[in-house]
Amino acid sequence: MPTALLLTMLGVTIVLIIVVITVRGVMVSRAGKLLAFIALFVFPGAAVFFGTTEHIERSKQTSFCLSCHIMQPYGRSLLLDDQSHIPAAHFENSRIPRDHACYTCHTNYTIYGTAKDKFRGLRHAYKYYIGHPANPIKLYEPFNNRECLHCHSGARSFEEQAAHSDPDTMKQIKSNELSCLTCHTTIHDASNLDHLKFWRPPSNDTH
Amino acid sequence: MTPIEIISRKLRIAGILVILGLIVEIISLVWNHPLSFMAFLLVGGLFLAAGMVTYVLDLVFPSAVYGEKAESK
Repeated sequence: MPTALLLTMLGVTIVLIIVVITVRGVMVSRAGKLLAFIALFVFPGAAVFFGTTEHIERSKQTSFCLSCHIMQPYGRSLLLDDQSHIPAAHFENSRIPRDHACYTCHTNYTIYGTAKDKFRGLRHAYKYYIGHPANPIKLYEPFNNRECLHCHSGARSFEEQAAHSDPDTMKQIKSNELSCLTCHTTIHDASNLDHLKFWRPPSNDTH
Repeated sequence: MTPIEIISRKLRIAGILVILGLIVEIISLVWNHPLSFMAFLLVGGLFLAAGMVTYVLDLVFPSAVYGEKAESK
């Protein structure tokens, strides 16, 4: 649901509730009872559902992830002027949607993952604002090949690549026994950014 | 206090709680910040749940309220 529509729905709900609680004897008539039920139960319930959906969708945006300062070096690493850096090569060449760059490769991270991951997300917020976040940050689990394979699996450039062509190797990659990062080692080099050169996107690029 | 007044009072409390929850929800949707989701869930959700539960309890147990009031009279 678009945010504007959701905000309109919330506004209408508030107006309905004001009508229900200010008009005397509204609960006497059947229509009044129905109106009260819609205003105080149905619409707020829908607002919670659509609001949660909207917030979860919003949290998939790259700008959301990078709004925590601890994530900013990782965001900067997407613009390195070196195509051997996997995240930069993917971001700069639009192999991943730029506005959902973090989520595309980290699909099971905090709020997007299981209930356990969601609690981790809450802990991140606590540590960020009240405690001391780990520096450098680390993934809870080794990077899963699933994140690469949901795009690359079946792609000719991947399947026919010489290093992947051995059936046993391919089997190990697809079963996550052999990590993609075993060979593709250059990922977010966040600690060395000051010594690296950056790519400057064209000025008409809004991302 | 008549039964209608009791219902109206409980309805007002439920309505105000739900309105507070909805206002928090509106602010959290307009405020683009990592904490907006927390505000939505923990503050807005709490107000909304409290308002909705107050209303539903009033629907489910209205006789209990009248009974207690009648006894106190």
